[in-house]
Amino acid sequence: MLLAILLLAAAIAHLLLPVGPLREAQAMDPELADLILAQLRLPRTLLVLGYGAVLGISGAALQAMFANPLASPDISGASSGAALGAVLGGYWLGLTQPLLLAACGATGALATLALLMTLAGRRADTATLLLAGLAISLAAGAATSLALALAPSPFAFYDAFDWLMGNFTDRSLAQAAAALVPAGIASILLLRRARALDLTALGEDVAASLGLKPRRLALEVIAFSAIAVGACVSVAGAIGFVGLVAPVFGRHISRGHPGRAMAPAAAIGAILLVLADMVVRAVPLDRPIPVGVITALFGTPLFVWLVVTMRRRVTA
Amino acid sequence: MTSLFARQVGIAARLQPTDLGVESGELVALVGPNGGGKTSLLRALARIEGAAGQVSIADEDLDQCSLARRRQLLSFLPASRDVTWPIAVRDVIALGLDRPDPARIDELIALLELDPLAERPVDRLSTGERARVLLARALAPSPAVLLLDEPLSNLDPYWVLRILAILASAAQSGQAVLVALHDLGQLDHFNRALLIADGEVKMDEAPAGLMASERFEDVFRIRALNGAWSIRRQADPRSSQ
Amino acid sequence: MPAFASLLAASAALRVASLNMCADEYLLLLARPGEIASVSRLSRDPADSSLWRLGRRFPGNRGDLESALRTRPNLLITMGGGGRATSLIAGKLGLKTLDLPFPTSINDVAANMERVAVALGRPGRSLAWQRHLARLRAAPVPPRDTIFLGAGGNSVGAGSLEAGWMRLAGLRQRALAGGRASLELLATRPPAVLLRSAYRRSERSIGQTWLEHPLASPKASKILTVDGRPWTCAGPLMLGEIERLRKMQ
Repeated sequence: MLLAILLLAAAIAHLLLPVGPLREAQAMDPELADLILAQLRLPRTLLVLGYGAVLGISGAALQAMFANPLASPDISGASSGAALGAVLGGYWLGLTQPLLLAACGATGALATLALLMTLAGRRADTATLLLAGLAISLAAGAATSLALALAPSPFAFYDAFDWLMGNFTDRSLAQAAAALVPAGIASILLLRRARALDLTALGEDVAASLGLKPRRLALEVIAFSAIAVGACVSVAGAIGFVGLVAPVFGRHISRGHPGRAMAPAAAIGAILLVLADMVVRAVPLDRPIPVGVITALFGTPLFVWLVVTMRRRVTA
Repeated sequence: MTSLFARQVGIAARLQPTDLGVESGELVALVGPNGGGKTSLLRALARIEGAAGQVSIADEDLDQCSLARRRQLLSFLPASRDVTWPIAVRDVIALGLDRPDPARIDELIALLELDPLAERPVDRLSTGERARVLLARALAPSPAVLLLDEPLSNLDPYWVLRILAILASAAQSGQAVLVALHDLGQLDHFNRALLIADGEVKMDEAPAGLMASERFEDVFRIRALNGAWSIRRQADPRSSQ
Repeated sequence: MPAFASLLAASAALRVASLNMCADEYLLLLARPGEIASVSRLSRDPADSSLWRLGRRFPGNRGDLESALRTRPNLLITMGGGGRATSLIAGKLGLKTLDLPFPTSINDVAANMERVAVALGRPGRSLAWQRHLARLRAAPVPPRDTIFLGAGGNSVGAGSLEAGWMRLAGLRQRALAGGRASLELLATRPPAVLLRSAYRRSERSIGQTWLEHPLASPKASKILTVDGRPWTCAGPLMLGEIERLRKMQ
C-alpha cells in the first residue's frame, strides 16, 4: 500500500539524514558510523515512529469511544497528565529507571482520563468534552511547570520545555524500549478492538444489544491509551496535534469507520512525527526548537478546518 | 421454532420485573404513554441494561451465548437515528453482518430503495433516509427476533406502509417482531398488542380488543368517538375515576 | 571496547567537547586550545557568552552527542539535560563523560573547577582561580541592601548562587516575593544598590520595555550596570564580575 511505502521511506530518511556526520564518522573510523547509527540514530527513529503511531492509534480509539472527532490524547489531557506523572516520578521521587518512569507517565495519563470521564461523561457533547479536556490539559500542564519549579533540584525548571513540548535528542535504546514495549503491547490490544469500536458507531445501545459491553470497552480504551501515551511521554515529553490530526486522515482511508481507522492512523501519525522531527533537526538555529512547536504549526490549521467542517455538518 | 421467552426482566425504576413470551411469526406492537416503559422493555429484552431476569430465544440463554450467535438471534434498533461518523450506507448495513455478504447487502439496498444513496456517507442523509439505512442494518442478519423502537416515526406515509409490509413479511418467514409504536393508527397491522404504562404490561391481547377497552382509555386519557380519538374530560361520566 | 575508543585512547592526546554553555565556561578557562574539541554554539555567540571570542576559535556543537562526535572528542562534559541518556550512550561509544552538577553555591562552583581540572589531568590548573576566590573571601566588604534587576523585574533568590556571589562584593540581595521586584516596590522602598543586567539590552521584549520605565531606575539607588552574560550560569566567570563590582562602589 502507498501508506506503507511512504512510512518506510520516511523511516529510512529519518535514520540516515543528515548524512554528512555519518560520512565524516565513517572517514574517522569505520565502526564509528555504525555506532552512531545503532546508538543514536536508531533509538531516535524507533522512538519517533513508535510515538507517532501511538498517537495515531490512541487518538483514533479515544475519538471512537467519545464518538467525537475532537477527542485526542492532548485535548483529553492524557499527554499533559503523563508529563506530570513522569516529572513527579523523575524529579520528586528521584526515579531513574526508564520502565519505572514509563509507569509514572501511564499513571498520570490514567488519572487525567479518569478525571475527564468523571467531569464530562462518556457521551458528552463536543462543547462539554472540549471544555473539560482543555481545562484538565491546561491544569496538568501548569502543574507540571509547578512541579518542575518546586522540585528538589532548582534547575529542573530548565527541562520544562522538553516535557511540555517534546524532545527526542540523545535518547538511548533502553529508553526507547521502555517506552515502546509497553506502548506496543497496549497498541496491539487497542487494535484488536477495532471491530468493537466500529460497532459503537451505531450507538451504544446497538453495541450493547450485540453483546459488547460499552462500559468495559470504554475503560479498556482509556487504560490502553493511557499506558501507551504515558510510556512515550515519559521518554520524549508531551507532543500535541498528531493524536488529533492523524485519526482524521485515518478515517478517510477507512471510509469513516472509527475503529478500522486506528491502523492507518498509526502509519500517518508515524509519518507526521518523523517529518516534524526532521524539520527540528534541519533547522540550523542554536536554540533547539521543540518538536511540539512544529506539530502545532501544521496541526493548528488542520484543527481549525476540522472545527469548521463540524459546524457545517451540525447545521446541515 | 424460534420463540422468545423472557422471565422477570426489568430495569430498576423504569420497568418492573416482567414475564413475556413471543412465538415466531408474531407481529407485536408495544403501545403506551411516553415514559411508560415501552423502550425499557425492548432494552431489557435486548439485554442492554439491567441484567435482571433471563431471556432465551429458541431455548438459548442470551446472556450465555457467543457474540456471533447473539447476532443470529436478536437485532435491536433504537429510536435514535444519530450516527457520528461519515460511514457509507453500504458499510453501515455491512456492520450488521458478521461476514461480508455483498449479495445480502444489495438485497437490502433494493428492498429499502437505497440504491442512489448506497455510497453516500450516512451522516449526510436526511433523518428519514437514515432511518431506512439503520433498519436495513437491523434486518441484515435475518435474526430470529427483531426489537424495533419507533421505526416508523417521522417517515412519510409511503415508507410507513412499506416498512409495515416488510415487517409483516419478516413475521411470515418465521421471525418474531416486536415494535414500539406511537401512532395508534398503525395498530391494526399487528396481530398482538401490549399496553405498557407505569413500568408494567397492563394488557396483552389483539389490537382491536385493546383499543376498545376502558383500560386503554384510562392509560391514554383519550376515548374513541365517531371513529376518531378525542381527549377525555375529567368530568366524563364514563371515566372510571 | 569499540575500536574507535581504543584508537583514541592509544593516542594520549586529550580532546574534550562540552555540550552546555555553563560547562563551556570551565572548559574554556582551564583547557589548553589543543585540548578543546568543541564547545556549545551559545559560547560562540556574543549576545550570550562573554567568552565568545575565545569560543569562536573552536568548532561549535548543538548540545547533542551526534554534533559533538564529529570533532572527535574522547571526553564529554555535560551539565543537566534531564530526559537525555547522553552519558549512557557516550559510554557505549567508548567515550568518557564528566557530568557536572548544577552549582547551588560558590563552593559548588569551586568543586566543579576542581573536577574539570582533574579530568583534564592537570589538577593544579584551577589553583589560580581558587586562590583568587580565597583572596576575595578573606577581605569581606560590609553588605548593602541590593536588588539585582533583570528584564521584567525578575531578580534572583536571596539564597541563590547569584546572591552568594553578590555577597562577595558586599551586596546583599533583598528577599523578594516571587523573586521579582515590582515598580511599586522600587518606588516605595528603593535599595541602596541596584544592579541592572545589560543582557540582550538592544533586543525588543516586554521585559526590556519594563526596564526602561522611569520607576525602574529609582533615583535613591546607586545603579550599577553589569554584563548579564556571566550571570546566566553564575559560574567561574563571576570572579571577574565581583572584582569589578567591588571597584565600582
